[in-house]
Formats: sequence, C-alpha cells, structure tokens
Amino acid sequence: METKPKIALFQCQWCLYSEPDQYWVDHNLPPSIRLMKVSCTGRINTLHILNAIQGGADGVMISGCRPEKCHFKEGNLSALRQHEEFLNLLDYIGYERDRVRFVWLDLQDRGRIQQELADFENKLQELSTANTLATRINAPEGEVHV
Amino acid sequence: MSHSGSSQSFADEVKAIPGGEFVELCFSCGTCVSKCMIQQKLEPEYNPRRLLRMVIMDMKEDAFDSPTTWLCSACDLCYPACPQQIHISGVITAVKEIAVEQGGKTTLKTAAVDQQTCVSCGLCAEACPYEAISLVQTKVPYRGLVQVAQVDPGKCMACGLCSAVCRSTSIGVPDDYTDKALMENLWDWLQPEGVTF
Amino acid sequence: MVDAARQPRIDVRTYTEVEKVEGFVGNFKVTLREKAKHVLADRCNGCGDCAKVCPVEVPNYFEMNLAPRKAAYVPMSQSVPLIYNIDLDACIHCYKCVEACGPLEAIDFSQEDKLVEEDIGAIIVATGFSHFDPSVMEEYGYSRYPNVITSMEMERLNNSAGPTAGNLIRPSDHKNPKRLAFINCVGSRDKRYNPSCSNFCCMYSIKNAVLLKQMNPDVDITIYYMDIRTPSKGYEEFYDRARELGIHFTQGRPSMITEDKETHNLFVHSEDITLGKVIEEEYDMVMLNQAAIPQPDQDHMSSVLNVAQSPGGWFMEYHPKLRPMDSPTDGIFFAGACQGPKDIPSSVAQGSAAASRASRILNSEKWEIEPTVAVVWPERCSATTRGRACGICAKACPYGAINIFSPEIPAEVVTAKCHGCGACVAECPEDAITQLHYTDAQILAQMRALLADKPEEKILAFRCHWCSYGGADLAGTSHFEYTANERGMRVMCSARMDTDFIYEAYRLGAGAVLYSGCHPQDCHYITGQLIGAKRAERLKKMFERMEMTDGRFRVEWISAAEGDKYARVLNEMQTVLDNMDKDELRAEIERLKPDMEKRLKKFPNVPGVSESMAYSDTLVSAINTQKKEPA
Repeated sequence: METKPKIALFQCQWCLYSEPDQYWVDHNLPPSIRLMKVSCTGRINTLHILNAIQGGADGVMISGCRPEKCHFKEGNLSALRQHEEFLNLLDYIGYERDRVRFVWLDLQDRGRIQQELADFENKLQELSTANTLATRINAPEGEVHV
Repeated sequence: MSHSGSSQSFADEVKAIPGGEFVELCFSCGTCVSKCMIQQKLEPEYNPRRLLRMVIMDMKEDAFDSPTTWLCSACDLCYPACPQQIHISGVITAVKEIAVEQGGKTTLKTAAVDQQTCVSCGLCAEACPYEAISLVQTKVPYRGLVQVAQVDPGKCMACGLCSAVCRSTSIGVPDDYTDKALMENLWDWLQPEGVTF
Repeated sequence: MVDAARQPRIDVRTYTEVEKVEGFVGNFKVTLREKAKHVLADRCNGCGDCAKVCPVEVPNYFEMNLAPRKAAYVPMSQSVPLIYNIDLDACIHCYKCVEACGPLEAIDFSQEDKLVEEDIGAIIVATGFSHFDPSVMEEYGYSRYPNVITSMEMERLNNSAGPTAGNLIRPSDHKNPKRLAFINCVGSRDKRYNPSCSNFCCMYSIKNAVLLKQMNPDVDITIYYMDIRTPSKGYEEFYDRARELGIHFTQGRPSMITEDKETHNLFVHSEDITLGKVIEEEYDMVMLNQAAIPQPDQDHMSSVLNVAQSPGGWFMEYHPKLRPMDSPTDGIFFAGACQGPKDIPSSVAQGSAAASRASRILNSEKWEIEPTVAVVWPERCSATTRGRACGICAKACPYGAINIFSPEIPAEVVTAKCHGCGACVAECPEDAITQLHYTDAQILAQMRALLADKPEEKILAFRCHWCSYGGADLAGTSHFEYTANERGMRVMCSARMDTDFIYEAYRLGAGAVLYSGCHPQDCHYITGQLIGAKRAERLKKMFERMEMTDGRFRVEWISAAEGDKYARVLNEMQTVLDNMDKDELRAEIERLKPDMEKRLKKFPNVPGVSESMAYSDTLVSAINTQKKEPA
C-alpha cells in the first residue's frame, strides 16, 4: 500500500475561493496535505519552498489570485517572477520542477482546488514510481537554521 | 451627521484630490461591496458603498472611524465592476489622505525594519507595491549614521512582499505570517528527523 | 396585425427594405428592395407542406435559437401575410419542397430581389429596438453557464407557443427550476455599456415573475434590482401585487454569478443593501434582464431617412416634450422604441399620434411651412460666376434642403424642406443666398437705426429667436434689471448671424456686441447652433488678433429659461464699457474701422443692401437733426 504524497499547500489569504471551497481547505484537508496561509503569494520566500522540500514534502502547491485580481496590486506577479526563477534553480540542482506547482484560482472556479490537488497528487505518484527522488537532501545532523 | 453650511464640504475636499472626483455619481448599487475580498475574508463591517455615502453625506468623523478607510488595499476588483465607473479605491485613498493629514492612524500592523541588520540594498523598496518604503540616512545605535529602509505607516498595507525579497531578514510584518510561524507550522507537520527548535 | 392586413387601404410589405428616400413632405420617392422569398406571394396558401418535407434544420431566430426551423419557413406561426420563405443560405437544393407544393407551383428558385419605387406622402418609422448581448459581461457568465438565460429566452420558454409549450425548464438538465433569480439593469444604467435606463425592464421582470408565480406557486422568485421604477398608472399596484404573491425583491446589484460544476446550480453574489450584508444565494436558473439598445442598422437608417440620432443612438425627435413623434424632417414621424426605449402603452400612444400627424399631411391639398425660407440668386452663385459650385451651403444645411446636382448648376433650395434657420445665408461666401423676411438689407436697416445715436454707448445684442430671445423676454417679464443701453436684434438662429453684421456693427461704432443663441443640445434647427458657434469662435480669435478690448465681443449661449443669465451677461458687458475711458473707446473704434471696412468691401454689392444703406442713412440723419432741433 503506497502512502499518499505529502503536499504543502501555500494559500494566499485573499485567494478568491468560494465559501464551500474555503471551508473544505480550512477544515477537511486530508492529513497528507498541509495548508499554510500567507498574506500574499508574493510573501512566499523561496526559502520556504526549499525548506518544505528539504523537510520531506513530496510537492509544493502555491495557489494565488488571478493576475489582475491580486489584493496587493502586483504581489502575485512578483511571486510568479520569483517562482519561475526558482524553477530554474530546481532544474539546476537536478530536482524535478513538476514537484512545485503554481496555480491561479478565481471565485468563479468553484471546486477547482480539489481538482487541482487531485491532479497534483497523481502527478506526484507518477514521479515517485519513476523513483527519481535520489536528489532528496537528507536533513543534516543537528540544528537546521530556520 | 451634519449638513454644515460651510463653504467646503467633506465631499468637496475629497473631490479636490485626484481619484476622488466622481464620488457623487454613486447611486449605491452595492456591486463594490459584494466584489470586495476584505469584506468576505477579514472584516464584515468593511463596506465601500457606505464609505462613499459617508463622504457624500458629509459624515467626516464616521468616515475616519470606518475600517473601510484603513483596510482598502487598492486591489481594484470593484473598479471594473462599478456601473458608474467610479474609481472607488481612489476615493478611499483620498479619504485616507485627509485622515492622515488630520492625525488619523492606520489600524493595520504595518511592516517594521530591523535597523541593526538592514544593509540598505533597496530590494524591499523596489518590491513594495505601495511605494511605502524609502531609504533614509538615520542614526542607529551601535552603527552610527547609516542608510536604512524606512516604512511609511500611512501607505503600508501589510502585504509582506518586502520580507519575501529581503536577503538579510531585516524587514517584515510582525505577528502576522512571520517566517517563524510559517516554518513551525511546516515542521510540525513534516517532523523531519534531527530538526529541533 | 391580421386586421391591418385585411384593411384594403393598408398595404403590408414584409421582407422589404428601404433603399433610398428622396423628395420632401408629401412628395417622397421611396425605393424599396423587395427581397426574394423564392415563393410566389399570390400562389402560396400557407399550408406548410414545403416546411414539412424540408430536410434542413437551422436555429430559429424567433425562438431565440432555442428551437430549430426548416430552410423553408415562416418567421412565426402568426406571420402576416402567411407566405413561406426559402432561406437560400441554408437550402441544399434538394427541391423536395417543389414536389410537395405540387400543382400550386408557388416555389420559384429563380426569383430575385426587386427594386420598387413608390410615391409616398408621409413616412412613419417604427423600426423598434434591439437587445444588449450580456455575454460581454464576463461576471454574469451568460453563454458560459447554461442556466443563465436572457429575458427574451425566458419569454420563449414561458410561452405556450414556444419551444417547450410553456413548460419552463432549465437548459442544463431540462428539469423545472424551483429557485429563480431575475437580475435587472444588465447592461443598462451602466456607464460601461449603456448609461441610460431601458425604461420598461422593471415592469417587465415583475410581469414575468407574476406570470411564473401564478402558473407554479411553489417556485421561489427573487428579483435583484437597483431601483424599481414603476411610474405609470397602475404600475405601482402591480408591483404591490407581486409582493403579495410572495416574490422576493432584493435591492443590490449582483457583482457576479458562480456555478457549481456538477449540478449547474448558480450562486448569485450581491450586497443586500437594506441589510448592509453580502449574500450568496443558490438558484436553479438566473434570468438577465438585458438593456434595450438601438437596432444595429439604426445608423444606416438614419442616413437613408436623413434624420438625426440622439446621443444614445436612437432617432432624434423634433422636440422632446412638445413634438416627440415628429422627426426634424417634415413628413417623417416616429412610433415606438426606435425613438427611445418605451413600453407598450407609450408605443401605442406614440404610434397613434404619429398616424394622426401623418394623416394631416395626406389629407391636405397644400402644406404650410414657415415663411422664412432661403432663396438663391442663381446669377451670384459661384457655379455661375466661376463655373464651380462651392457647396458650402449644402454642407451647412442641417436638413439637406440644398441640392447641388452638378458643379455648373447653381445651388437649389428645396423650399418644402427648408426650415429657415439661415445657416446657408450666413455661410455663403458669395452672398448668393438670402432668407425671406430676414434679408441682409432688412437686418442692416434695423442695425443702422439702433446705432444711429451715440453708438459707442450701445450694446448690440444678437439673439436667436428660440432661446436667447426668450431669455431676454423672461428677463423683461420677470423685471430683472439690466442695462438700458442694450439694443436687441432678432434672427432665427445663431447660424444666421453673419460675420458681415458684426463687422458692420463695429464699423458703425457699436460699443459692444453680444452673440447669443441656444445651448448646443437645445438648438431648434438640429445643428444650427454648432455652425453659429464655430463662426463665433472664428470671430473671437480674429478680434483678439486685432487687439480689441476683451469683453467688447461676447459669445453666450442662453436658454429661454435663463432670464437671469441674460441680465447678468448684459450688466457685465456694460461694466466693461463703463471701465473703459470714453476717448480710449472712441480711439479703438476709429482704429478698427478701416479693418472692418476692408472686410465689408463686397457687402454693398448684395442686392438691396446699398439701397437699404442709402435709405437708412437719410432716415438716420433725419432722426439726428430732429433730435438736435426740438420742436
């Protein structure tokens, strides 16, 4: 019996989820998925993602508002810019770029977050069976600077 | 509420500031309120329609006390939806400007700079969508007269973009969504071996 | 409609378009394009056998594309006259219909469009309105969500002759909806699309709600509105009845509709203004009450008929209050929503009014018009003198009453079309046109008499007949005090205020000149004021270059209700004169005189003007000598 991949879900606090979706994300997430709310996707430091991967998460999903609907004018665009650079870094260090996913959700996309998470889970399952996790860095002995 | 007979009403004051010109066109349809995310996610009392009404009805004190004045982050979700094409965030910014001029203070927890570690690289100033951060010469204990970042609390909307780009972890919004809280949340879940706090 | 078709004196021409309209009141020549139906009208008996055998199905426009129709079709079952039509765009030429028609032999594929010319006495335009397409409003998701429909689609779904025989179903799963939302003002009262109110939608949505509620009492209906406008007799009572029936009314304009992907149920987000709370309600189906907009080919019709359009694109009436059914062109009338969105009672009222207006024309031997029409002196027109008609008059005429058939033939005024604004008279560079009762000579004589004595103290005020003259009148009857040095001159329109008159006034030594007329949107002669305003701007710039004291030439637009403004403007002008030194003023007048004389060089050549000048000179000198030698 294979275990479900662990997903760290970074969610923008203003993310335009519809009410039932937000309730599901807040209360009914499966234990393999952890919700981390941030004030804006632009608030996510690349270190956060790296730390999540380093700590043992199989994938990281970042969900933000659509480009013109950012609560902070251009925070999500700044996040996207950083994210693309970060993916290049992942390529460089030899880690699968598919393990980090960036999605834009809208209030009108009712129920899409569940769909996206399921999709992502499947994708991660595929990646694990391909067994290319060799690049996973084990946490070093002693303290990890957070 | 006061209908003062003074020569310049509150609405006139707001209209004199660029962005606030068309406040009186509002016919209170409520589209802006149901579009607003702050209203849905944070503060149920938040209501741009009511603030516009306060401006029109000359209710200056109520407008300054209203959370609407201080919480609007100018995301402009309401502007394209407004049937009267009023730039609502422009009106709210105008009210805020007047309020700040007259000594009002924001209710938000705005970003703070650790002056001891700031290296004045300017990344935060570039990242800030509200142009609230500037680099100033100031006297810092143990460091003397150095250039550090400074946050204008009248403009800061506490988005935290500055802390995402800061390479010396010297700027950030205190209390809400700190690095420490985020990582603790993450570690609590992952429980990686050999990591202690 | 059937009655109208049976009436022997009414000739119904369907599937026919107006190509060209020429002529004038009582004598229009209208070219009609009778489109080919490919069915002979005198043989078709409307049995419908052709449609039965036709194998082609295309969306039925009349059913809002909710049902199919054949390529051989009638637009609707109640069509009058009931003659089938073959849609060649869809036809596959199987000729089964020819077979089905049999001995009647009504189908003729060789038929082509026919151009017919008719003599018409009066024209009534009743082209109606069109609907705003809500699919451009992304937030309501029309055309993306199957269960968001427009009011016209609702009308068909709810109609016993409609595609569902009156059984209201929702498009996604064909079930009967239990919770319905109606959204008013979709695309109307919205500066992004149509800033105006569509007039009838409030009543219309209440009507639909009441109808549905009466048929299915267990249906839950909510109407989202910004304001409910029920201004006519019995309307408010109807609104009350809707409330009694249990229809919910929510004040607040929905900002968006979202959809559940599985059930296709819809969620309407809006603020309930009375509660001051944001609400998200679930519905099975949402109806959008879309705005009424002008027909897509309204611009084309307006140029064919030569009638102007109001800012929204509707046809413009002669006067919004006093002559709402008349077009500015004599003999053309409006009925119904082509002139502006209106409901059925108003359309019927306007239609009857237009018909009675038209019958006045049809039943009269002679048609009286204003006597102040323009007349061309053909020998002075540039077509005669230079062999090339300049066409300035034709361009200036707001009514298209001046014909220039070829460059060698002098301009011709169609007297029946002329409304007497005098724009052509003042614009003509050759002074080849005159206006009866307002000839240059007549106006000149008046001016000379008014400026006979101490002209430097006088303010010559040119007023247009319809607005600023009324304004001056109001100032008088309301006893607003204004300067006694004002001397009023009436012309029909500010477009008639010739540059020559202004030059002549200053040449005679007038202290100041006022150039006044209607506000731009109020002009009695459609665009006359615009012509006058353009000319006034030109004059203003010229006098600035001549270094005339600021305020001695003034341009003001004064309506008939602005008596106070008239008085104020004249008092301000008087102050300008008072503030000037008398000798300085005289010196300025003398300085500018040669310039004015130079500009007036051609003026005495105008027929009647030199005689008028000579005659008025003797009169003026007689007046002055009389005054000097009191009896």
